[in-house]
Amino acid sequence: MTHPTPQKRSILWAAVLLPSLCLGLIFAWAGGVIGGDTLTPSHFMALFHKAGAPTTGFRRAHAKGMCVTGWFEPSEAGRTLSKSGIFRGTHLPVIGRFSLAPPMPYLADNPAIARSLAFQIRSQTGDDWRLALVDVPLQPIRDLHDALAFFGSNALDPITHQPDPARTKAYADARPWLRTAFSQNAQRAVSSGLEDDSYNSLDSFYLTNHTGKKTAVRWTATPLEPFHPAGTPSEDDKNYLFKQLIRTLNQHPLSWSLTATIARAGDPINDPSQPWSPTAEKLSVGTLTFTQAYSEDEKGCGPMVFDPTILPSGITVTDDPLLALRSSIYMHSYSTRAGETKTPSMVTSHIIASPTLSTHEKGQ
Amino acid sequence: MSSPTHIPASGSFPKRSILLHWVMAALIIATLIIGLSIAHHSTIHYAGLFTLHRTLGFIILALVLLRLANSVTTKHNPSLPATMPIWAKYAAHISHGLLYGFMLALPLVGWAMLSAGGYPITLWGGCHIPPLIGYNATLWAQLRSLHSCLAYGLAFLIMGHMAAALFHGFIRRDGVLKTMLYRR
Repeated sequence: MTHPTPQKRSILWAAVLLPSLCLGLIFAWAGGVIGGDTLTPSHFMALFHKAGAPTTGFRRAHAKGMCVTGWFEPSEAGRTLSKSGIFRGTHLPVIGRFSLAPPMPYLADNPAIARSLAFQIRSQTGDDWRLALVDVPLQPIRDLHDALAFFGSNALDPITHQPDPARTKAYADARPWLRTAFSQNAQRAVSSGLEDDSYNSLDSFYLTNHTGKKTAVRWTATPLEPFHPAGTPSEDDKNYLFKQLIRTLNQHPLSWSLTATIARAGDPINDPSQPWSPTAEKLSVGTLTFTQAYSEDEKGCGPMVFDPTILPSGITVTDDPLLALRSSIYMHSYSTRAGETKTPSMVTSHIIASPTLSTHEKGQ
Repeated sequence: MSSPTHIPASGSFPKRSILLHWVMAALIIATLIIGLSIAHHSTIHYAGLFTLHRTLGFIILALVLLRLANSVTTKHNPSLPATMPIWAKYAAHISHGLLYGFMLALPLVGWAMLSAGGYPITLWGGCHIPPLIGYNATLWAQLRSLHSCLAYGLAFLIMGHMAAALFHGFIRRDGVLKTMLYRR
């Protein structure tokens, strides 16, 4: 047997080990272990925790909420815009969730807090469409770097346990491109309750119809209830907004028109912080009706993920970077919270059963 | 030149087995890289990469079943060289068993995990896959963790498998590597 020289032996060993090590480096890079400056969903989760999100089974954002069920009646306009099976159905089952936007699950209701409506529409043919809408008109975030800074600026002050207004102001001041978003959000007309509020997708989506025509849209759920301006918050009842919604649902169903705002040439598709032209056409693709309220702890929407990139065929994501960010964080948050032991939601089944703005809560 | 290390492994794998091996190697490595990326990066191409990952996962699941059937029905698979120490033969058999186990388990756990999480399972081109199990959020969280653990395990198994194959090819030169290479 010939014995290779030491030099040749080391070359042979390099040939044995280097391919595996190179592959290992590629795996490590893909897994975010090496490569440094990457934005991972874990970074964002850490920011939500600093902003007050507990680790007791709640969503890391929009933590306080309540479930509703109902149906969706699509319109002819929906069928014209998209080939999705959703718009060809009738009386499609809907599971929804009303919530307050901050990451704290035990927050007292207050008209100053942004509210949200998320829901899932399913068709008999297996289509699954999830929307996560907020009642502000524009996203005060343009891209991933804004997102990191924005959620970082929400961190609670360790002494006051409140967000630091100086940090919020610094975030806004450093970003002149968000001036319109901040002013429109601040000037929005705040409604009296969750039931007469309008909710917006902020992000844009593409609809594709049977002829292959692609339309960029933003969604708005517009209430059929008349608008009443917000009054002063109830000091006695920390759940007065949710109780008001439950009481109205006990009296009659509540409906929202699901409106597509159609992008005009030049409207920014990939930037949810910028408004579209005020003359943009609006078409109602159907009516959403809710009839029944449930506590999150009871059934339905409790753990459900309202990832806005879960779309039926005929609706697709745009190159809006916030959509990709939301999807990656939602999945991370969903798998983390679903593995935790959950403490009861603030809107309990007891409150659903007797939603009176009762005086016995006074002094609690 | 009658050194025992030069006695070649007997025969080689049939061409269809060699083709299956290399196609699956490429698909599995691509799927692992995509999976690791979407789990650890908030990339702008998230939705598209996730759809590609699901699609590749189901192709791999179909191929691994085909490969198991092929492996069972092939009569003359090459045996390991007689000169290999007994522990090395055991290590080879165990690692090949683990590779098959992980290749089969990863797509199945992925399928079950998305089903338990209530995610629609849509593939490239719009094909819907029915859920494997019912909606169960707690189970989703557990299967999601298991899917990650299996992926890290498979990544290390592949790296070890590559190094072992190249050790046979360059250091032992016992013909084992050649059994999985194309010849004219």
